[in-house]
Amino acid sequence: MDGIENCTRRAAITWLGENWPDITIPLAVFLFALIATFWLRRLAYDYVDKWAQRVKWQGHKIFREATKTPSTLWALIISAALALAVSSAPSEWENPAGKGLWTLFFFSLTLCGLTLARRFISLYGDRFKAPHPATVLAWNVARIVIIVVAILILLDIWGAPTSPILLVVAVAALVAALAFRDSFPNLLAWFQLNASGQVKVGDYIKLGAGEEGYVAEISWRNTLIRALDESTVLIANSKLVQSTVINYGRPLKKAKEPFRFYTRMHLKELTGLRARNLRELADALKTVPDSVVYYHTHHFLEEHHYLAPEPANDFAPWVSDALGEEVLGERLASIDTFEFTSLEALRERLVSIMEEYLSQGSNLRDAAEGREFHFVKSVSVISPTPFVAHDLREFVEALRKISLGSLYFHIFESRLRLRKGLNDFSAWLENALEEKELADKIARLDPYTYTLEGLRSSLIQLIEKRIK
Amino acid sequence: MKIADYEPIVGRSTIEELKLLATRLSGKVVQNVNSTFIGGGVAEILSRMTPLLVELGVDARWNVIKGSEEFFQVTKKFHNALHGRAEKILAQDFSLFLETSERNIEELSLYGDIIFVHDPQPVALVKRKKELGKKWVWRCHIDLSKPNEEVWNFLKPFVVEYDAAVFSAPAFSRELPIRQFLIPPSIDPLSDKNRELSSETIDSVLSKYGIPRDKPIITQVSRFDYLKDPAGVIKAFELVRKSIDSRLILVGGTASDDPESNKVLAEVKERAAGNPDIHILSDPPSTDIEINALQRASTVIVQKSLREGFALTVSEALWKAKPVVASAIGGIPLQVKNKYTGLLVHGIEGTAYALRQLLTNPEYARWLGENGREHVRHNFLITRHLRDYLLLFLSVDHPGDVIYV
Repeated sequence: MDGIENCTRRAAITWLGENWPDITIPLAVFLFALIATFWLRRLAYDYVDKWAQRVKWQGHKIFREATKTPSTLWALIISAALALAVSSAPSEWENPAGKGLWTLFFFSLTLCGLTLARRFISLYGDRFKAPHPATVLAWNVARIVIIVVAILILLDIWGAPTSPILLVVAVAALVAALAFRDSFPNLLAWFQLNASGQVKVGDYIKLGAGEEGYVAEISWRNTLIRALDESTVLIANSKLVQSTVINYGRPLKKAKEPFRFYTRMHLKELTGLRARNLRELADALKTVPDSVVYYHTHHFLEEHHYLAPEPANDFAPWVSDALGEEVLGERLASIDTFEFTSLEALRERLVSIMEEYLSQGSNLRDAAEGREFHFVKSVSVISPTPFVAHDLREFVEALRKISLGSLYFHIFESRLRLRKGLNDFSAWLENALEEKELADKIARLDPYTYTLEGLRSSLIQLIEKRIK
Repeated sequence: MKIADYEPIVGRSTIEELKLLATRLSGKVVQNVNSTFIGGGVAEILSRMTPLLVELGVDARWNVIKGSEEFFQVTKKFHNALHGRAEKILAQDFSLFLETSERNIEELSLYGDIIFVHDPQPVALVKRKKELGKKWVWRCHIDLSKPNEEVWNFLKPFVVEYDAAVFSAPAFSRELPIRQFLIPPSIDPLSDKNRELSSETIDSVLSKYGIPRDKPIITQVSRFDYLKDPAGVIKAFELVRKSIDSRLILVGGTASDDPESNKVLAEVKERAAGNPDIHILSDPPSTDIEINALQRASTVIVQKSLREGFALTVSEALWKAKPVVASAIGGIPLQVKNKYTGLLVHGIEGTAYALRQLLTNPEYARWLGENGREHVRHNFLITRHLRDYLLLFLSVDHPGDVIYV
């Protein structure tokens, strides 16, 4: 036995004596490469540390942690590969060993890539307040891409055919692209919206296409807007970034209770009463319901609202034109309806002027046949509209949209016919928003001297001025 | 036509309000009843309004009564008599009316929650009110200011059974113990009579009738009837021509049921003979588009009637932003507020004076025309008519003056 051992030892010493460069050179290359790669690794980390400090890169810690162990492994693998390359190992060894090293390298690179992707997506997802589904989607996409690329590289290293797999991947990518063709631009637009900060949750925005309201939520696909009629509008992010957007900024002070806009439409009811002369007119006016007084002192405003309202009531032109009593007509026309806060008082004034004229004993004539005064009653049908305002911005935007019937209702009808003595807008501004000054300005505005559209513009101007 | 087609004309909020009112009527069936599906103003209004009401969400339906030719001759006589025209009504006419009404009362299915009866022909259907209940409304399209009392007294017992009646103008109504609403008629801005026309179309119509556009054009659109006073229009035109070179167009047909019509036309032609600036267009009858084109080509439009119904030709002219000179009678003062949306006149000299005023003051004429167009936009278009009908259907269930829906 001792003889055999001695024989083997001698043969090994002889082989080492003859082939020592085959061992020492790769070993030296390995050691040298190891030192060099560690040195380069250190340099790279130093550079990244400085750069990260300068730009305050939040991902720096993640980068260091995720690459620390794998980079040591990569240094070892690169050194081993270089040593193998200079060694005179037989080719049937060298080939699988090289492939093994490359496999190990890419395997570790893949693991490192996955860790980096996961932690970066989580970091930036939190930073941009991305919704959970968007983070999950981004992570899944990154994971699939990294794994597929790694598998393809490994197959290529071991000489396996990659074309069919590439084909499958291409088809899968196409399917995915088709499936996400709508979502992808929205996701990009979402990044754009977040990065630019031009539209934020809580802003009041108005789009070129007409949608408007407060931004309630920005998801990775859509932006949700709460409109003035309390409905919600979903707009794809990609459309939002392409639209012309007016951003009025943050919400204003909220009212204690919202303002619901109503509208009022009216139907004319014939009373069957008619007057041929001033005596009959005055007598009938004393007894007709308030809705008749209201009709004859207000319908001109609605029916001729595009004209600056000239005749204040129907009695004045009838007395002038049909009875020829121009002096009385002028007196009746000069009654300022805005002075009155009740229909009773308005009726009394009209009747007293007529009675005073009658008492002067003028020779009063009858109207020609067919020109009698017909007493008409106004039947109001009042209904809520979809428009609701919670603050001045919503209020002024709704004011631009409501019908003239709605404007008329809140300014004229509620003040006089519904006996509130004050228009609804002023009441809400003062009580629910504590905007006393603005409320007073609107209450002082004599609406009888405007066309309805003129009145709308004046109100809008007053409120816009207050918002600024 | 779709309701959305009217949005560019009357604005979104008007259409929204119609939809809002329609939702308050959901579940109710509105049954219109008249005497014919085709021909006549009532059928034309119903054929335009019923589909629009249905589109808005109102379950509006339309049925007609049946009657022999003799029955409709009798109702035609009633119609003329109610308008104040002299008609000889015989006892057998009344009995034929009652017999046919009885047959319709038995045969016609009345299923509406609101039964909306138009004009006198089906008025007697209300006899089933006690049995059926429901809300009954009588829509009178006739001017009842000076009716033949015999015919009115015959129809009145039926009318007072209704829950409400509807008239087109205050002056057209009668004293009745039931609620009476005022709903003027309307024009359809998208019909051939009123829609926008290209200048090529207008020019081709003028060249068809051989009317040059070398001087201001004054036009009256109406039947050749003494009550429309075409001779008075020619006299007024002759007064105008003393100082202002202009043309006059009288366009309209003759009424087949009015033997006087041809006589009037002959007189008018005779009076106009020898004056190349007067154009009488009666035969063949002009189409709606041609009348539209003639109105649009005019400088001023006249409606110098001696007696009128509602005279929607005035709204048609105003809708084309034309300054109007019209008699202060019938429904005209509702459409023309003197010196705001046109000029109201009472006689030939007044008409001539108003025409001269407008021809020599084109800015003032344009201002009146534009105001007139706005007045019609808000008060005499089919959308306002729809709104009034919706409000009427809501009001018959609510007796108060202020209704919250």
